Amino acid sequence: MLGTSEIRGLLASSLVAVLLVGCGGGDSAENAPAATETAAAPAENPVDAATAGNIHGTIKFTGTAPKAVAIDMADEPTCQTATGGTAVIEDVVVGADGGLANVFVYVKSGIDPALKFPVGPGKEIDQQGCQYHPHVIGLQAGEQLTVKNGDPVLHNINATPTTNRGFNRSQPQAGMTFETQFASDEIMIPVRCDVHGWMSAYIGVTSHPYHSVTAADGTFSLDRLPPGTYTLEAWHEKYGTATQEVTVATGQTAEVTFEFDGKVAAEVPMGPVLLVDMHNGTLRRTTTLVQQ
Amino acid sequence: MATHAATAEGHATGAGHDEHHKLSFIRTYIFSTDHKMIAKQFLLASLLFLLIGGILAGLVRWQLGFPGQPIPFIGSMFSDTTAPGGIILPEFYNSLVTMHATFMIFFAIMPLLVGVWGNFLIPLQIGAPDMAFPRLNTASFWISVPAGILMLASFFVEGGAAGAGWTSYAPLSANPEYSGVHMGQVLWLVSLIILGFSSLTGAVNYITTIINMRAPGMTWFRMPLPTWSLFVTSWLLLLAIPILTGGLIMLLFDQTIGTGFFNPATDGEPLLWQHIFWYFGHPEVYILILPAMGLVSEVISNRARKPIFGYHAMVLAIISIAFLGWVVWGHHMFQSGMNPLLGTSFMISTIIIAVPSAIKVFNWLGTLWKGDIHFDVPMLHALAFVAMFIIGGLSGIFMASAPVDIPIHDTYFIVAHIHYVLFGGSLFGIFAGITFWFPKMFGRMMSPKLGKIHFWVTIFAYNAVFFPMHNLGLRNHMRRIYDPNSYEYLQPLQGLNTFISIAAFILIAGQMIFAFSFFYSMFFGEKAEQNPWKSNTLEWTAAGHPPGHGNFPGGTPHVYRGPYEYSSPESNEDFLPQGVPPEPVRRGAVPREPGFLPTGD
Repeated sequence: MLGTSEIRGLLASSLVAVLLVGCGGGDSAENAPAATETAAAPAENPVDAATAGNIHGTIKFTGTAPKAVAIDMADEPTCQTATGGTAVIEDVVVGADGGLANVFVYVKSGIDPALKFPVGPGKEIDQQGCQYHPHVIGLQAGEQLTVKNGDPVLHNINATPTTNRGFNRSQPQAGMTFETQFASDEIMIPVRCDVHGWMSAYIGVTSHPYHSVTAADGTFSLDRLPPGTYTLEAWHEKYGTATQEVTVATGQTAEVTFEFDGKVAAEVPMGPVLLVDMHNGTLRRTTTLVQQ
Repeated sequence: MATHAATAEGHATGAGHDEHHKLSFIRTYIFSTDHKMIAKQFLLASLLFLLIGGILAGLVRWQLGFPGQPIPFIGSMFSDTTAPGGIILPEFYNSLVTMHATFMIFFAIMPLLVGVWGNFLIPLQIGAPDMAFPRLNTASFWISVPAGILMLASFFVEGGAAGAGWTSYAPLSANPEYSGVHMGQVLWLVSLIILGFSSLTGAVNYITTIINMRAPGMTWFRMPLPTWSLFVTSWLLLLAIPILTGGLIMLLFDQTIGTGFFNPATDGEPLLWQHIFWYFGHPEVYILILPAMGLVSEVISNRARKPIFGYHAMVLAIISIAFLGWVVWGHHMFQSGMNPLLGTSFMISTIIIAVPSAIKVFNWLGTLWKGDIHFDVPMLHALAFVAMFIIGGLSGIFMASAPVDIPIHDTYFIVAHIHYVLFGGSLFGIFAGITFWFPKMFGRMMSPKLGKIHFWVTIFAYNAVFFPMHNLGLRNHMRRIYDPNSYEYLQPLQGLNTFISIAAFILIAGQMIFAFSFFYSMFFGEKAEQNPWKSNTLEWTAAGHPPGHGNFPGGTPHVYRGPYEYSSPESNEDFLPQGVPPEPVRRGAVPREPGFLPTGD
């Protein structure tokens, strides 16, 4: 017969074991919030196409375009060869007509919170020639992001959001992919490669599909918006943010122009960035990259 | 004068009585207070962790021997965050290396040496009915169980298991942003904090038992060397574990509540962690080798049928090593920028440790000299211990010298050294101990044929794995590297890395022979005689395999002489047990049957 103390001991050890077993399988929890959100998202766009309008626009750079800085990839001969030594830092890319590329433009406010949008088809970010392609990417909360390594070298993808769950994963071989999502909106999430210090990308996450990244000529478009007045924000990694009020009329396309004059912003909204200063061996955590 | 007095707790739990009421299954096999059953629990649990640690080592060697290639056979079992398609990811590799060392050091070698032999041998060798605190002894094992489960569970949490190395250097271990591992590191810390309490309760028990419960006549210098080494080791544990626990708690605070003890980003001091860790860590090295030295001394003296050469010197060498072990921690930190004068003092104190270590080696050789050497399985392992410990000790001298240490620091030379000491030393000592005391533990002999096959496979494969690592280290092969081929100057060494990995797989496979022999012999081995090795120490004269609860059915034995009276002219046999009184000896009658010993009660 078991004594009271023995039964107590058995119960206690069983409880510990159950709790510990319950700790397992944490990896699958990573995507749980997004999966829930995805499950709740409707299949159809709730905005009536017959009454919807669009926003088209251009980001203009009015200052003196800084000279492109070449990336020294001597430490990674594979990428040096792949790019022919022509790779440049993509923080400021100004088109021939003064358009500013890699600007994330999104509707900051004005969307009816009652509207539930279907999650987008998914985006891909590729690592080619030791650079991220694209450099800036827009995602809807819960939308699948495929991270691909197109290089035959090891890359480490370290995303450091503030409100979402970050990830820090390696892809040692060409062709490797993994999928992830961000559960909630966040402007912006820095992405770094810990192996190649020059590699950087930014991910903007919104709770709706009204976001865009400017093309090489600085143009963007946001389509199928319900008629109404919206606050539009343009985000650039070096020049900060600019906002405008835009009114979209039924069946009309509103034209918008933002201008950045080349003045470096004191602070740019983004998640924390971990910088390793190789000269004095210290680690810095910052939200500002302009001093780099 | 040593005295024996069963404690009140001992009486309360039935210890000290040879007639017992029948205990339930739970009290006999699960929550037993019998030191011998607890020793068996430690043995089975730590052998399981030895297997897990070995499997992790196999995965590490797969990546180094065949970098970037999918793991064969079992590769598809891994998740996308560890080894997608069987290809080991760098962060998983970090976890594998960290957890291999953690399991081997804290959950395999330490309990195999201290938990198993401290429990099994101490009361039997000093003539005590049980430990001083039998319930505390039960707690010691069961505290370690959740620690082991937590450590295993860390593989399944988000971010995976800890990846900052077994030394867990800050700030990598202090801030999850640096390593990408948070919960795994927290579980690592919590697990080791819990395990520390297990070690402490064990150490207090061993020390109390040895001081208070020795049989009449069991003076300090009549104690067998395994008990001596476990006594000294227990003091090391008692003093070193709280230091580690303090550091672990500080690191846990850095990880969880944002303190900055060790993180320079918050004005913390990473070197403080290194000092705390190694102030524990170097005594820990001796915790991992001293008990093995004790086991091997017993086996060598017994199997060479000679008294141990320089018994007193052996005891004093154990004590000297333990004392000196506290003033050498800085030799792990020559590269930390410490004052060269301080580095020199650590260098000298470290080199001085070679003196008592060499005394032990020469005394083992002196014991063997002109001995009647029996090359059976325990002896083969004991001899391998001596030979491998010499190699490990000599490479240790290289590292003790600061100017030599600087170029070989953090290279595979260090990996070679630690494995020559921890595998070549500790593990061969453990194999010697298990094969020697197996009959007393389980009442059956282990298969000598399987034992010899296991030994020869192990000794060859082991040297094929670890000796070339010296060469890798001298050619600046970093010890912590995921893919050596990412450096052009290491690419010519890939062939050697592949050779080492293949030898490692043979070494791991060879241990399956031991595992089979262990369990097969437990149930089907040849039944053991009362004293199969014709040994002098008290455990072999206690009736039963193992003896019943209370150990000595006739009462507490008397001890009349030291433990290594082999080939004594006082006896017409080649052994003279500690408990045989002088009078029958003079008549040349050394009885061999159980229960022959006269008692002092």
